[in-house]
Amino acid sequence: MTIEHHPSDETLARVAAGRLDAAPAIVVAVHLAACPDCRAKLRGFEAIGGALLEDLAPAEMSADALASVLGRLDEAGPAEAPPRPTPRVPRFVDGIELPAALDACEVGPLRRYAPGFRMSRIRMPGDPKANLMLMRIGAGRKMPEHGHTGIEYTLVLRGSFSDGIGHYHAGDLAEADATTDHQPVVDVDGECICLAAIEGRMKLSGILGRLLQPLLGF
Amino acid sequence: MTLSPEAQARLVASIAAAADRQAFAILFRHFAPRVKTFLIRSGLPANTAEELAQETLLNVWRKAAYFDRSRAGVSTWIFTIARNLRIDHLRQGRVRDRSIEDPTDERDEPLSGEAIVMAAEREAKVRIALTKLSDEQAAVVRLSFFSEKPHSEIAEELGIPIGTVKSRVRLAMQHLRTLLDEST
Repeated sequence: MTIEHHPSDETLARVAAGRLDAAPAIVVAVHLAACPDCRAKLRGFEAIGGALLEDLAPAEMSADALASVLGRLDEAGPAEAPPRPTPRVPRFVDGIELPAALDACEVGPLRRYAPGFRMSRIRMPGDPKANLMLMRIGAGRKMPEHGHTGIEYTLVLRGSFSDGIGHYHAGDLAEADATTDHQPVVDVDGECICLAAIEGRMKLSGILGRLLQPLLGF
Repeated sequence: MTLSPEAQARLVASIAAAADRQAFAILFRHFAPRVKTFLIRSGLPANTAEELAQETLLNVWRKAAYFDRSRAGVSTWIFTIARNLRIDHLRQGRVRDRSIEDPTDERDEPLSGEAIVMAAEREAKVRIALTKLSDEQAAVVRLSFFSEKPHSEIAEELGIPIGTVKSRVRLAMQHLRTLLDEST
């Protein structure tokens, strides 16, 4: 199936500049792995970074910088040839194959928070506060109502959902900012598995949200 | 000192093929001070920026054989190395995800003469595209790339409303995209 919903140019520019938070960066990375068009766009934005770098006024380096780095070249080893990539062993949680972008993360089993809604809060090394979640939502179910201070990035791993703005299938990325009024609903033909990240703080609302908030520790 | 993109690529190739220290020294003198400026503008203290700029160039030495001319020019490659080191530094040794991390993990297209020419053209077009932005758009693009500040602070700095910053970023990005699309 072709991917129809892509990260915005601004998001790709932030990836290129290294200015997207860790959790959204992972969600976008999963999309990038599946989307050659966005990889090509990203390269365009990275080239902008390269051109800007070339134009920057040089800063003064410490007097012995070059000598000291030349002295470290041997310890750094000779210019090395690319090693053969080791084959990656697929990881599964509750029967869900995890994308490679999550390899460094700790993903516990999904817990049931409400009827038709299971979720695992993903732990990112070095960033315990990252809002990154793996969700499994039953066919025809609504995702919990919530708001957020920043942008929410939701990537479909399996199944599909609609949010009144678009219809999202595997590989599609939905970006919703704080002003987007949306309530995603999973399509009736099957459950939906998503990876979602939120910038800033999440504000859960509605009855389900109020129940979830203390459990999730947001 | 000016160093053409072709000359830069030859220097990297010479490091990869012959561990050429002289080639390395030339690249160091050109890029280390610029990487340091990039890192300082990104909000790092000068001594950390110096350290990471040196580390960036050490990575150029180590990874010279990974450099893929069909993918990016040398300045873009070095920009991504510095960017990744900065992220690592800020995340305190956290492992970054693979797809952004290593420019060598997968190739979209075989390393061909045509791909190399296309990559070089893309880099050249980007440079031209940047010169075609209005001063205002260029300022916003530069700040979004190099400044740690969120849009709200950029707005304050430029003395314009945040909505204007956002729309200028969007317009500048669209404009750049159009110019890049014309080049492919």
